[in-house]
Amino acid sequence: MSSQAADLTSLGTPQPPIPPPPFNVPPAETLTPSQISQNPSLALEKYKKKDAVKVIVRFRAIGNAPILKQNLYKINASNKFQAVIQFLRRELNYKASDPLFLYINSAFSPAPDEIVANLVKCFNTDGHLIINYCTSAAWG
Amino acid sequence: MTAPQNPITRAIWDGTLPIKFSLDSAEAAELGAKVLVEPYFLEAPRCSYFPLLTSQIRKYFVDMTNMALNFIGDDAEIWYDVDGIPLKWHYPIGLLYDLHTGYRPDSNSPPPLPWPVTVHFKNFPIDKLIRAQAIDATQDFFMSMIKEADFLRNGSTKKVMNLSKNDQTQLLDGLWSSFSQKYRTENYDRFWSINYRLVTNDGQLPKHIPLRIYLPDNCPVIQEPIAPSDENGNQLTLGDVLHQILPELFPSPLPTENAFAAPVIHGVIPQLNIPILWASQNLCYPDNFLHIVVLLET
Repeated sequence: MSSQAADLTSLGTPQPPIPPPPFNVPPAETLTPSQISQNPSLALEKYKKKDAVKVIVRFRAIGNAPILKQNLYKINASNKFQAVIQFLRRELNYKASDPLFLYINSAFSPAPDEIVANLVKCFNTDGHLIINYCTSAAWG
Repeated sequence: MTAPQNPITRAIWDGTLPIKFSLDSAEAAELGAKVLVEPYFLEAPRCSYFPLLTSQIRKYFVDMTNMALNFIGDDAEIWYDVDGIPLKWHYPIGLLYDLHTGYRPDSNSPPPLPWPVTVHFKNFPIDKLIRAQAIDATQDFFMSMIKEADFLRNGSTKKVMNLSKNDQTQLLDGLWSSFSQKYRTENYDRFWSINYRLVTNDGQLPKHIPLRIYLPDNCPVIQEPIAPSDENGNQLTLGDVLHQILPELFPSPLPTENAFAAPVIHGVIPQLNIPILWASQNLCYPDNFLHIVVLLET
């Protein structure tokens, strides 16, 4: 088992450039309640910011699924789970038609549009997101 | 089996939205429709999903045009949009309405009803929507959500996995038939007699509350592990949770100071002082998640 997480650079799906704010937006952290109450959409800017944080995912093959050369990868937390699915398919050299099922904690399959940061916050084990994968449906 | 009497879960189950389905005009011409196709009006349950309505919508438009010859695709290829924004088929209809209309129930203007939705038979936007192989995928996505909710409550999916085959069938059948007006009570009982055990967690305090928060302007969906009470054992309220997660929008957990942002659940602005556990057990969608749309003052 590799203990070092490879940087999953190939996983960085191109993000459209963030358009500049329409006017001079102060950092949301420094917003005063009165600024927000005058223009609540200012506060949204903070929540729109993509989290540049990287998190570690750990892949575990189930049943007769092929094993990866290494099983720890770093991934941008702002990615959708879809990016994880696509990455694993590439690593395994699987075609779109080859069946592949991914689970978190051997328990459930998140929807492809769920955000990795949310999954890590809610379901991490010692800070890692454990992803089991197999070639036939395992947990319903 | 009858479900425990709960007027709130019953009212949510009975909640419907009048929707006006129009065929995309460019596609109508491509598909061979010779005349302007009349829209299809339907009163859809807020708790249901668009793919469950697809077969009757398809039948209507196929009957209205000579499209039967030109469209042989699977129901899963049919998709919906509002103002050019594709609607996520795996979200409940009521959530999509609250999210896309951004309608605040405390505003002075009337709600945008019937809700105008465009139907597409072609050009499935694979970059924006999840492409399902078959319409049955809706059921798989729904069960995955229920399991995810169970995992948040218990740190495992044992409660859902321990449902008998019969219980699981009853749960799904109740929800899948929910658009049948005639058997509404029967379907409510079928669904809620099983779901009651899940949302109340068999009387055990859940570790975390399954909830998601949706903000305007394409902000990423927020999902965090929220405990039902603080370290001193005091129950957290909806206001406490919103204040904790969105301090800029909810500078205080108290209702009076939060004039500009409001949570909307099932088209209603709930009081901020309701315990979050109560909200989870009574106001969750059938997928067991409390979906909270936060809207700003317009």
